[in-house]
Amino acid sequence: MKRWFAGAAVCAAVYALWASVGRAQPEARRPHFTDIASKSAFTYKTENNFTGRKYFPQTMCGGVAAFDFDNDGRMDLFFTNGAKLPEMEKTDPRFYNCLLHNRGDGTFEDVTAHAGLLGKDLGFSFGVAAGDYDNDGHEDLFICNAGRNTLYHNNGDGTFTDVTERSGITKPKDLLSVAAAWFDYDNDGKLDLIVSNYTVWTPQTDKVCAINGQEYYCHPKIYPSVADRLYHNLGNGRFEDVTDSAGFGKDLGKGMGIAIADFNRDGYMDVFVANDTVRNFLFINQKNGTFKESGYEWGVAYDENGNAHSSMGADAKDFDNDGFPDLFYNNLKGQIWGLFRNMGGKYMSYVSGMSHVSRLSEHSSGWSNGFIDYNNDGWKDLYSSNGDIDDMGQVSRQPDTLFENVDGKEFRDVSNQVGADFSHAGFQRGSAFVDLNNDGFQDLVVTSLFEKPRILMNSADNGNHWLLVNTIGRRSNRDGIGAVMKLTTGSGRTLYNHVTTSDGFMSSSDKRVHFGLGAEKTIESLEIRWPSGVVQTLKRVKADQILTVTEAAK
Amino acid sequence: MSTQLVGHPNEPRPRGSGAFRPISAYPTIGNAAHCGTCFSSSKRAKQALFFGIFALLASALLAQQPDAILKHAIALHQAGDLDAAIKAYRDYLAVEPDSLQARSNLGAALARAGRYDEAIAEYNAGLQKSPDNPALLMNLGLAYYKTGRHAEAAARFERAVTLSPQFKDQVTLLLAACYNNLGRYKDAVALLAPLEKDKAGDAGFDYLYGTALIGDGQEGGAAVINRILSHGDSAEAYLLRGTLELTAHDRDAARADLEKAVALNARLPGAHARLGELLLVLGESERARVAFTQELALDPDEFTSNLNMGVLAKEDQAYVEARRYLERALRTRPNDPGVRYQMANVDLATGNLEPARQSLETLTKESPDFAEAHATLATVYYRMNRSADGDRERAISQKLMDQRDALPAGTKPR
Repeated sequence: MKRWFAGAAVCAAVYALWASVGRAQPEARRPHFTDIASKSAFTYKTENNFTGRKYFPQTMCGGVAAFDFDNDGRMDLFFTNGAKLPEMEKTDPRFYNCLLHNRGDGTFEDVTAHAGLLGKDLGFSFGVAAGDYDNDGHEDLFICNAGRNTLYHNNGDGTFTDVTERSGITKPKDLLSVAAAWFDYDNDGKLDLIVSNYTVWTPQTDKVCAINGQEYYCHPKIYPSVADRLYHNLGNGRFEDVTDSAGFGKDLGKGMGIAIADFNRDGYMDVFVANDTVRNFLFINQKNGTFKESGYEWGVAYDENGNAHSSMGADAKDFDNDGFPDLFYNNLKGQIWGLFRNMGGKYMSYVSGMSHVSRLSEHSSGWSNGFIDYNNDGWKDLYSSNGDIDDMGQVSRQPDTLFENVDGKEFRDVSNQVGADFSHAGFQRGSAFVDLNNDGFQDLVVTSLFEKPRILMNSADNGNHWLLVNTIGRRSNRDGIGAVMKLTTGSGRTLYNHVTTSDGFMSSSDKRVHFGLGAEKTIESLEIRWPSGVVQTLKRVKADQILTVTEAAK
Repeated sequence: MSTQLVGHPNEPRPRGSGAFRPISAYPTIGNAAHCGTCFSSSKRAKQALFFGIFALLASALLAQQPDAILKHAIALHQAGDLDAAIKAYRDYLAVEPDSLQARSNLGAALARAGRYDEAIAEYNAGLQKSPDNPALLMNLGLAYYKTGRHAEAAARFERAVTLSPQFKDQVTLLLAACYNNLGRYKDAVALLAPLEKDKAGDAGFDYLYGTALIGDGQEGGAAVINRILSHGDSAEAYLLRGTLELTAHDRDAARADLEKAVALNARLPGAHARLGELLLVLGESERARVAFTQELALDPDEFTSNLNMGVLAKEDQAYVEARRYLERALRTRPNDPGVRYQMANVDLATGNLEPARQSLETLTKESPDFAEAHATLATVYYRMNRSADGDRERAISQKLMDQRDALPAGTKPR
């Protein structure tokens, strides 16, 4: 009997070995997304005032920011909105911007009016950027507009004050600003501001384009290109326009999404600006208060055939975990989304084809986008909010796409496997990545023209582990924007990320740095390189927590 | 290698040119050279002995009667026994290496057997001895044409006609087909326009002429299409119209016509390639890839398909494959700037900066308005740490692109 058992055990072991060798390992359960927006009572819809006449800016509406405005530990949401045209005024509540307070129970409360963020006096709003520019511990907001741009100071009591005028952040009124990003380009501990500008436009100079009597949104070519603007934070709530002296003034484009990262790992943040139908810009920080536009040198100005596309959203993160931030921009149907691998901080290699991104993306017109490790496996996946520019084609309404990262080498389309709410077809525009319920899995918030935004909660049910890092700078800017992190797991696997709120198009994401850890529960070390130069290493960090790290004194 | 006639199936072959036929017929001779094939014996020793004796006899006969071998070769050639004819011609040329007739006939036999590269070698060997032999030039041109080497074919046809104007009638349509394949549409129009009055209504002529007119952006293409369609449903007409619509960015109409062309005649040269181009524009690269592959199965030298397959392979970072396609495209159009630019991009992507620099410098010198080439050259210079040169090329490219952007926006939504 004993011998029989021994024999059975051997057989079982052999069978198990055969089974593990002969069969593919079962894939981890794929999380899915569920839209919970309908559970909350708010009236915001993305309203571009399309009434038959096609004004140029109407295609770009519905910026979104995820930030914790009241420091209650839960991420709140802010949405920008359009205006009545040609008046270009938020004449009634359907055009108001919207602030939703996260109640922590899966519902959101509209607190816009109380916060003073309706924006009644603003024009047509586009992008939004969240950041604590005055280091007072409260996240502020900058809003891009056709009309005047707006800086809102967070008063720390649930209200905001429009401080644009005294901040010195000015621009010509007809300059159409689309997106903005907070970053500290000179590492002086104060957040500076980069604003991408599209063109010079007013309702009065709007062009009409039509074919066979049917109006369509004009090609960008008929509008002039303009320079992006850089504002240096002087402290005391004041900013100086350093566009020309910093080297941004001479490169004219049609600015869209902005990605911030230290591409060459020299300790200074660089800026990528996606341009619509014009070459893309990569401003490399010269560490002396100036930048050099280096898109040609880095090979990101054009695609590899020398073509400029309608680049929309942009994000810069390290998708292959080699320690250097890579680049991802999307564009319109029939073009090729750009995925670039950073080659050791020297230049970028165009890998859209090899990674399958070109084939996966060719049917989609992308707007906001970004790297998101939605399944916490430690590999950053690719998300894009999609929808045609115009409503003239048969497939103008489009679903979003999610391309899953396979070992940092290639991507596969899992868009149809992450829930029906994710697959909603529309004219999607803005998007933010945020952990709304602090469960360690990234949720998604997406705006869509003429609709309520979707608040897509991640099912977080595949058992993978995670770490969220909330940075508090002391010598560095208080948000810690620009801090670069290297996480080493118990098995020795290394993961990289950095603090930024800027990604995608017109949008601003959760500033907390997210790491998916896969099946690993232990973190051997977490190294943080702060913008100040301070390097801080934490040992044996517990997984599955929101870790707040205050910058060390030295 | 293709054994299909490149171009339109209705394209007339040269009449009475003797192409791939013996230059002249000689009376057949006795069967001495073939007796070896008649012999059989069960005993190896006897076989060896007999072969030895036979070889001696044959070589004696060969030395004494070379003309007889040539006559025999021609007879075999005329009888369609190409392998035997080729062997006999080679036997003869071993004795009489300067015989132009034998060399030309050998080339013709090889060409008829589909062994074009060998044929080309023989014709070229013949032309070394007699550079201005129009018949040899014609045959060489045909061999080049059949292997998709249209630039070389056109040069030989042009030379043959210059030397012997009587070849003009025979060669005009072939030369026009070469020009179309080379993208020299203006030359094709110049060649064909004077013939329109006499040849309008001839399907082959109309197709070539329509292709040339549309390719050159001239008015009149639509009239030719209507002329073809007046004879009934025609894949050729739909292909031409689809091409016209593709040029005019009318993608829905182009798709309908090109798909109809393929449905009516899946072997129509160029139809799959045009459809592939359209599918690429529509963002359907996988279907485009299938279309280009189908085209290349019909004609491995088709330019557009090779170019686009090269670009697709390059995007997949399958650089060896990309080079193979692009080299094939370059063989068809040796100086095509687009292909050379893509080859330079492959060099850049694979870190071969010096060859990329050289070809881009040449390219920008030859085509100073090629903005993309200037842009890529700027990147190459920057990678080579030649910042000043990079700045210069960048400025040139930027200026050219700004000029392009300043052009009227057109009338179509993007």
